[in-house]
Amino acid sequence: MQRRAVARPHADRALTVTVCVLWSLLALFVLYPLVMLIARIFVDHRAFTLAGPARILADVHQWRAFANSLLLATLVALLGTILGFVFALAATRCRLKRAAIAAIDAAVLLPLVSPPFTLAIGYIFSFGPRGLITYGLFGLKGVTVYGLWSTLSAEALTYFPIAYLTLRPMLAAIDPNIEGMALSLGASRGRVFRTITLPLCTPGLANAFLLLFAASLADFATPLILAGNQFPVLPTQAYLQITGLFDLRGGAVLSLMLLVPALLVFVLQRHWVGRRFYVTVGGKGAGQTPSDTMPPALRTLLIVVCIAVTMLIVYLYALLLYASLVVALGANHAFTLQHYRVIFTEGLKPIRDTLIIAAFATPLGGLYGVVLGYLVARRRFLGRQAMEIVSMIDYALPGTIVGIAYLIAFNDPPLVLTGTALILVACYVFRYGPTGIRATVALLQQIDRNLEEASFGLGARSGTTFRRITLPLILPALLAGLGVVFIRSMTAISATIFLVSIGWSLITVKILENITELALGPAAAFSVLVVVIVFVVIGVIGRVLRLFRAQGAPRMAGLLGT
Amino acid sequence: MKLPDRLARALARGLPLLVCVLFAAGSACAAELNAYSIWPENWARPMFEEFEKATGIKVNFVRFSSGEALARLIAEKNNPRVDVLFGGPVETFAAGIPEGLFEPYKPPSFPNLPARFKQADGQWIAIADDPLVFMTNDKFLKEHNLKAPASWNDLLDPAYKNMLQMADARTSGTAVTRIFSILEVNGRDENKAFAYMKKLRPNVQLYTKSGGGGTLPVGLGQAGGGIFFIVDALDTKAKGYDVTVSFPSEGIGTAAEGIALIKGAKNVSEAKKLIDWASSPAMQGLFAKYKINFVPAHPDVQSDPGLAALLKSAKIFPIDADYAGPNRKRIVDRWVAEILNP
Repeated sequence: MQRRAVARPHADRALTVTVCVLWSLLALFVLYPLVMLIARIFVDHRAFTLAGPARILADVHQWRAFANSLLLATLVALLGTILGFVFALAATRCRLKRAAIAAIDAAVLLPLVSPPFTLAIGYIFSFGPRGLITYGLFGLKGVTVYGLWSTLSAEALTYFPIAYLTLRPMLAAIDPNIEGMALSLGASRGRVFRTITLPLCTPGLANAFLLLFAASLADFATPLILAGNQFPVLPTQAYLQITGLFDLRGGAVLSLMLLVPALLVFVLQRHWVGRRFYVTVGGKGAGQTPSDTMPPALRTLLIVVCIAVTMLIVYLYALLLYASLVVALGANHAFTLQHYRVIFTEGLKPIRDTLIIAAFATPLGGLYGVVLGYLVARRRFLGRQAMEIVSMIDYALPGTIVGIAYLIAFNDPPLVLTGTALILVACYVFRYGPTGIRATVALLQQIDRNLEEASFGLGARSGTTFRRITLPLILPALLAGLGVVFIRSMTAISATIFLVSIGWSLITVKILENITELALGPAAAFSVLVVVIVFVVIGVIGRVLRLFRAQGAPRMAGLLGT
Repeated sequence: MKLPDRLARALARGLPLLVCVLFAAGSACAAELNAYSIWPENWARPMFEEFEKATGIKVNFVRFSSGEALARLIAEKNNPRVDVLFGGPVETFAAGIPEGLFEPYKPPSFPNLPARFKQADGQWIAIADDPLVFMTNDKFLKEHNLKAPASWNDLLDPAYKNMLQMADARTSGTAVTRIFSILEVNGRDENKAFAYMKKLRPNVQLYTKSGGGGTLPVGLGQAGGGIFFIVDALDTKAKGYDVTVSFPSEGIGTAAEGIALIKGAKNVSEAKKLIDWASSPAMQGLFAKYKINFVPAHPDVQSDPGLAALLKSAKIFPIDADYAGPNRKRIVDRWVAEILNP
């Protein structure tokens, strides 16, 4: 059904150059480290060997961990997508007041903008034999906090904001006139939701599912703390194999096992979504108020779920704030500012380093996401699909393995980057830029090609068309890309723990260190600082980009905290 | 290159350094060196600051867990980024030897240290000793009318069901030391030792990734007790958590903490000065001042009086490296198969 772009007679230099540049970057920062890593697995003392993989693959426990990982990722993706959809519907379809939406936005952003250990630590305090909630509130004894359920709910809480951020602009972009027309033609609200709103969201839902599945599949921080001994998952096993048993080869094998399901889901999603045809943005900007399309019962349910989840999040973060302001949580609850004093003296260098690195990674990652996303969604060139898949590799792989691969590849000539800030910037761009790619692709699937074809037809080249037509339309995706790369630059740890150096340290690494040292106060203070910085910067990005939003762009609510 | 060869070269390089140390004290050279520290920052930083005060050499360092530090050193082998690996159980260092990570170096303290505090070729040398202890939550003990455990069998009490936390042998030197302690108190009868661990298993709530991972849950009462290194246990107490430290009458093991020179180090003479200093009373005499509850490795240094009093009544034995070394992998594999994933 999809119409093909009209072949143009003149050579399109901008396209060729961009594709070449992107391919060289991908080759250097995605494929080369991966090849070096795989070489490490199969080459032992210059001889090819299968001993490493064979030993790991023969181990039944590793297969159980593999099955656990798939189960966890599926459940997290399912639950997270549902939660994200619920929040997105509440924000766009429930006629909530602006202030209420802003409050939900802020609460939803919290898990996204905080370092990976914070929610898990909150769980450890709140649930369990002496947990503040299970014991303190309900007086339950003998409850265990470790296992599938706590890992699942902590990961779902951590990652559902990604689904929300993907789905909300999608819902907002659906021309309310369509729903309005269906209503005025006599369809019930339920029917409108089922036959119009939901199908139009399918690419977004599939996309959110993929992103969450991949995120959960690669997450090692939450299971490391919450999964316990009964529910081993692969990323944690890989991390333990490397850092515990000093078996880089085995850890690499385990991580590569994860690549298979990650890529499979990705290909399925492309295949499935690609067959449908979704266009809601025509040439004219739609400017109506959202129609009242929610059945009242559903609306109430949505709002109740939103409030419950929001309260849980707010509670967990209030606990974090409290921990940063008392001497030692659980032992001495006297008020103190000493933890903040510590982070602004000894911790000043990692704070500065993190901000500098984020300042470089954010614009580069945002640009990379939008340009690559645009190319693979809209243009035809040799190796287009390959490019899309290659660009997703670093996102799908567990951070531990990306970090180790970078370390192996860039420690020796020809390209020595270890110890520099560049290796951290590159890691952030290529590992988190794909969020922008996915957002761009999903958004473009909703925008009619006619707009661009008209531009071409009038003689504009790719560069001009992209700048004048497409870019304004996909600004929200750019915003999402920028936001995610910045947030990750401030909060990621699994890959970068292997890339920090004497010269360049990061806040998250300090937080992990403080947690292992039992210094919860400074860890909490650092986390609060990260949350504050991210909120401020994301707010500024949103505001600046809003100023430049072109006329005729789809009515996109600011994505992040606006 | 053969080992004696390397040793000779190391010595040849070390000699001028020694001269430099003897005669150039206080000379204003802005020297520095780079290190990976396995000791947490709150212990490593004061030590390095004292070192700078004493020698004028600034130590730039990053802190990693022992596994992360080792993984990095292996990955960076062809182009090392640091000169010294500082702190951490000597097990980690032992794992680095077959990878060829270290340059053998014997500091002046080398002959003074007992054999278990040094690698025979000088690949690493110990800077501290760290015994295991039982640590229990006071409130938990009171609630269940228990005394602090004074025997390995006390931990089998059903009151502890699902309430103990201790380290996972795949990732933690603490756990390996614990398992070899159990083997030792059972006369190295493996079947007897594993039978004990199987009986203990239902009482274990969680095997933690890091040795100190369970201290906070025990401090908070989320777990009733566990087996930890004394530094971590006393640190928990110092933070204000109500916990009791006790020892089993049958005895418990101890593990040394090490330091090593990295092969291909760029600041060799400065690195050697740090190793000289850390393996001598100059550094180990400072543990008490900074409330670091390690037992000094150097025989000339006295422990902090409080620590010494605590340890006086305790029966502590070193883990025999000649027995533990060759059997470690087999025992850990058996532990994973029979205890962790039965």
